[in-house]
Amino acid sequence: MKKAMLTKQALIAALGVVGLGATSANADAPSAAIRNRSIGYVMTGVHWATYATEKATECPDGFNDGPREQYSALFPKDGKQRTVAETELTREAAVWFPDTGPEPSTAKEFKFKEPVGTVAPGLNLDGKVGPNDYTSPDGEKGIDNQFNRVYGCVSDMRPGGSLYFLWNKYLTRYFYPHTVIEITNVDDLVNDDDVTVTFYRGLDAVLADAGGTEFLPYATQRVDERWGKLFKRPAHGKIVNGVLTSDPGEINRPYIFGFEDRTFYRFRDGRVKLNLTPESAKGVIAGYLDVKSWYRAINGALGTHSLSYGQESSPSLYRALFRLADAYPDANGKNTAISAVEEVTFKQVYVQHDEPKTASDVRKSSQANAR
Amino acid sequence: MRLLRSVLTVSAVAFAMTAGVHAYAAGEKEDSIRAPMPPGFQIVPSELEGPVYADAQGRTLYKWPQTNLRNGDAGEVQGKPACEDKVQRVNAGLMSPYPGGLEMPEVDTRPSCTTVWPPVFAAADAKPVGKWTILDRPDGRKQWAYDNWALYTSVLDKKPGDTLGGSVMMYDMGEIGVQRHPLVAEPNVPSQFAVRTTMLGRLLVLQDHWSVYTHDGDSRNKSNCFDACLDGWSPVLAADYARPIGEWTSFERAPGVRQWAFRGKPVYRHLSDPKIDSLDGSDIPRWHNVYTQRTPEPPKGFTIKETLVGLVLGDSQGKTVYRYLCTDDALDQLACDHPGAPQVYRFTVCGGGDPELCVKVFPYVIAPAGAKSGNTLWGTMYINPKTGKAATAETPGALNVWTFRARPVYTFAGYNGYGDETPSDMKAMAWGEFNGQRNGYRAIVYRDMYSTRDQ
Repeated sequence: MKKAMLTKQALIAALGVVGLGATSANADAPSAAIRNRSIGYVMTGVHWATYATEKATECPDGFNDGPREQYSALFPKDGKQRTVAETELTREAAVWFPDTGPEPSTAKEFKFKEPVGTVAPGLNLDGKVGPNDYTSPDGEKGIDNQFNRVYGCVSDMRPGGSLYFLWNKYLTRYFYPHTVIEITNVDDLVNDDDVTVTFYRGLDAVLADAGGTEFLPYATQRVDERWGKLFKRPAHGKIVNGVLTSDPGEINRPYIFGFEDRTFYRFRDGRVKLNLTPESAKGVIAGYLDVKSWYRAINGALGTHSLSYGQESSPSLYRALFRLADAYPDANGKNTAISAVEEVTFKQVYVQHDEPKTASDVRKSSQANAR
Repeated sequence: MRLLRSVLTVSAVAFAMTAGVHAYAAGEKEDSIRAPMPPGFQIVPSELEGPVYADAQGRTLYKWPQTNLRNGDAGEVQGKPACEDKVQRVNAGLMSPYPGGLEMPEVDTRPSCTTVWPPVFAAADAKPVGKWTILDRPDGRKQWAYDNWALYTSVLDKKPGDTLGGSVMMYDMGEIGVQRHPLVAEPNVPSQFAVRTTMLGRLLVLQDHWSVYTHDGDSRNKSNCFDACLDGWSPVLAADYARPIGEWTSFERAPGVRQWAFRGKPVYRHLSDPKIDSLDGSDIPRWHNVYTQRTPEPPKGFTIKETLVGLVLGDSQGKTVYRYLCTDDALDQLACDHPGAPQVYRFTVCGGGDPELCVKVFPYVIAPAGAKSGNTLWGTMYINPKTGKAATAETPGALNVWTFRARPVYTFAGYNGYGDETPSDMKAMAWGEFNGQRNGYRAIVYRDMYSTRDQ
């Protein structure tokens, strides 16, 4: 039960201002977006949250080397006839059967570069301020984002990097990774201390403008109740001053890179923090990223070729991920999950649950998108 | 035994595979256009690819169209055979990010392109017929071509109807290397239509690859689908001048409006199909995809399971079944995906180079003694697990394993937490280089809900 509820109307009356914060200048918009005490949003943008300045001052030693550079260091052009087995297949074996032992070479290409500095985006996942924690750009202490230490000096994951751009693009380009959240039991998008936040995989195209670059609200989005059971996760949440937060729980995120291998990665203790409006949501998904699921996802989806564009050496990153993992110790005390954050944007959608049973149902769903 | 709610039994496999499919007569085969052929050539039916052109001995003919790889092209252009007698001893470096000039595995026994892909030579007095032409090879010999594509047979094919050298399905993947294509006889369909090879059968689609469907309520060459029935559907119309072709007819569904029918069943387009080659319309009661012929079912004991990508093949325990794909990176792009090829590629991705670990991570799917599939697509063979090579029943430690297209199939026990944790699990559909296409394992997908190539 809700302990306190400040309705939109009461807030407007109290403040005497229209259009402040989450209260829309259009008094009808919130009620239009909330139907049957539910509102949905489809993800339209995603980036891993690392701290990246324009001049990369956080990477004083430069960016990490990737597969091509490491290959050249291991197998220089010295006129020696080498074999496919001792070169390519040895490096691929290291990708698919990685270990946390020493790198195969002490060459500089294998020296892992972590970002310096104490600032990084994210959330305080454990409620503590520890020695390895960051301070957020807004000054909040205790930020858990060890993922930043792994990828902060990897060009792929930084603004301008190929994966930084393409993962965001493929999120809406392909159907598989469409991510929907539905907030139910909601009466007020400004303050409501008892809502349910459920993740789904979406089935429909994300509505965009004629140029295809700006995403639009008020579309219908069917959710995958059949194939996407892995991605359906409800959690308790609350909205305070227009910011939605959810309780920690497992969140599985679909991942694809356009080469036909569809996979996923898993957040443990995953939660959202999103600024809500009737038409959009923006914020973060954060938690402890299960290292093996992430490693499996990124190598399955991309492979050495694609990762080489962004200088991502999987064997080296595997070592770094486990070295810097900060949660969920295994039986040997080795941490298996790493604090991580995704910056995400959403557009409002009308969530449709029932799978169409007849052609008429399908037609109506399609027509709803055309409204 | 743990209840696997998401796994269908073998009897349900048959149901799943026929669900949504119009109940054509068993064994119906695709009809093809009978164009003139030179003496010695014929069309033979194949279980997966449909009717294929073959030589006098029934050996499937293949072409090798040039394809752009990451660092250059391989294959042939029309009119210029490039498969030669020379043994390629080093790789070409076409597969990023690894350079060329590296010595190929088992180089001393590596065959030449023409050893694996014998050219279809033309006699000195051979004459071109229609699309069948004759090309001059670099070695001076004459070679048959179709539409100016030089023709070859595959040493992997053993009997008429075998298409073990290559599959139309495989060269739809982007990173699989430059494949040889079986020369599929042109389907005898009106120009508005095409046929696509899928695991369920030869799928009938429109030329732009949107699926077509039939409705249970229709009669032979008569549509009973109007008004509400057509909500979300569109009849595939035929021009006034359309004439019957093979198994195709047209009929007047309304004054002045003609509709196509295949084997007497009117065909329609599902307006809400989200992508091409879709099976979504078959989810709607009384509507069915159309196949010119069905692919034989997997053997008894295999299952179909629902996963995060769609329907995939599972073993009797419900574990996802994978096939292994591999094309090497020499200029002749030879297959390394079968037991006769060097196994070092496979051992890399299944065991980090360790054959013993390989068998544990990707175990073979064991076939019961005396098991038979009842078709040529599925079979059994003896494998020496230590070498990955073919063996006999007398070979110590030999395993009798199931095969698909004469290649063993596997499950994924996993390694260090990377496996499919439970039988109903499937962490991902592929494992290996270039998404398991170039050197790796891929799930056998029967219904792909999220194929990317169509979006």
